[in-house]
Amino acid sequence: MEIDIRELETYQELAHDGAQSAASSLSQLTGISTRVQVTDVSLMSSSDLEYEFIGDEFAGVNIDLRGEIDGEVVLAFDEQGRSAITDTLVPADDPEKKKSSIKEVGNIMTSGFVDGWANYLGAKIKSSPPTYIQGTGTDILPTSATTEDDRHLFVFRSRVAASKDSVNEPIDFRILLVPDSKSLERSLEPQTDKIVSLEKLEVFNDMTKEGAEKAATNITSMTGIETTVNISRLSLVPIEDIPTEVGNKRFVGTVMEFNGKFSGYLVILFDQPSGRAVVDSLVPMETDENWGDIEQGALKELGNIMTSGFIDGWANVLNAEIKHSPPKFVADTGSGVLTPITAQIAQSDDHAFLLDSSIQTNSDRVFTCQMLALPRRDELEQALDDLLVENSGNTRVDPDELF
Amino acid sequence: MDVLITDDSGFMRDLLREILEEDHNIVGEAENGVEAVEIYREEKPDIVFMDIVMPIKDGIEATDEITDMDPAAKVVMCTSVEQAEQMKDSIKAGAEGYITKPFQKESVLEELNSIAAK
Repeated sequence: MEIDIRELETYQELAHDGAQSAASSLSQLTGISTRVQVTDVSLMSSSDLEYEFIGDEFAGVNIDLRGEIDGEVVLAFDEQGRSAITDTLVPADDPEKKKSSIKEVGNIMTSGFVDGWANYLGAKIKSSPPTYIQGTGTDILPTSATTEDDRHLFVFRSRVAASKDSVNEPIDFRILLVPDSKSLERSLEPQTDKIVSLEKLEVFNDMTKEGAEKAATNITSMTGIETTVNISRLSLVPIEDIPTEVGNKRFVGTVMEFNGKFSGYLVILFDQPSGRAVVDSLVPMETDENWGDIEQGALKELGNIMTSGFIDGWANVLNAEIKHSPPKFVADTGSGVLTPITAQIAQSDDHAFLLDSSIQTNSDRVFTCQMLALPRRDELEQALDDLLVENSGNTRVDPDELF
Repeated sequence: MDVLITDDSGFMRDLLREILEEDHNIVGEAENGVEAVEIYREEKPDIVFMDIVMPIKDGIEATDEITDMDPAAKVVMCTSVEQAEQMKDSIKAGAEGYITKPFQKESVLEELNSIAAK
């Protein structure tokens, strides 16, 4: 199946407008002020999608869509959001009415999300009555995303931050639209010459996950910290939203530019305690709390080795070279690190493919590392065009076979 | 044996020095390809450990210059890069061995002995 990237961009913009409409419906109903943080369209496996909802409790609605777009929408509020809505609309202690209020708010918001799509397509999209959902992980996911085969899904994801006077912490609610494959094929039928094979995108996504796994293995080899990749996805996202997507938490890490078959940037970010844990494992001496030369050097070398693990698979499958620059140390907020990079990429594009992999530890130890690759889109599209799917198993090369 | 270590990372140079200095003589440490070529010219080490990704001049270019200057030079690439095309470029430049990071002490010594025996 071939998809039209320009159409995909249009659908991303429609999803963003839909999320804004849903968010303003919430504001009107409850007085809660809202802001759409980011909307992207991601290609990800159902297990990765499930991971996004693990840990926290969510409540919301699941709605089936039929018509020009067939699929499922899930709109889910975190616990703060659920309480803020039910406390505003149903102050009495009546659990059934509180549940009903979530269903109705979810229903109204989903209409706001979907109607723009119908209007754009000049067609009907009918919604089923909402089903109340509550829980974590697979309890929240669209049914079509919980099939036994861990297949790739196109998911439209919006994250909306909301706040209310009575709520101390920001509310997080998410909208997921999972169109079924036939409907997606119909919607993304090539209209322009900006065509990408979905099969190749899936192969590239798998290669990226394998690269992230290799990078995670390299962390473990060097530091002894057991790690695993829990999320790896490829998203089409407006470039201006990327710094927001990464957020304002403080990180340490490295930035590398890569060039060759396609070019772009690779950013490796550790949260501060994880960065410290990595350096303590690498440097067997008292280190500087202020990230001095020794600490920066250790982190840069780890970044260098992780980068190779990540990008070498792409190069080997594409039978090409992708060289990367020596790593540059960064210590800043996520958005602070990403803003100058997105400014470079934005000179030629308004949307970008963002490859986002999250590495965590298997043990009780707190450890998180995020790897973000931002390839230049036209070059990646050309590289995907040249990619031979039958080469997809050739990510690794044993030097002993050549030397 | 006289050994030259080339890596832009001080952390990695220390690690290699630790592994090698017990049985070998470290004649110099270079932080980039230009320094590696200069030190090679002066010291003529028996073996060079060469990183690939470095500022100013990368390890493949430096290997090319060293083997042009001394066709008998023995260079082992010691890098995180695992790309077939860059391995082939390293061979073309004259490298005789290839170790990938992160490495174990044994693999470094094994490669060194194997190259020395050639």
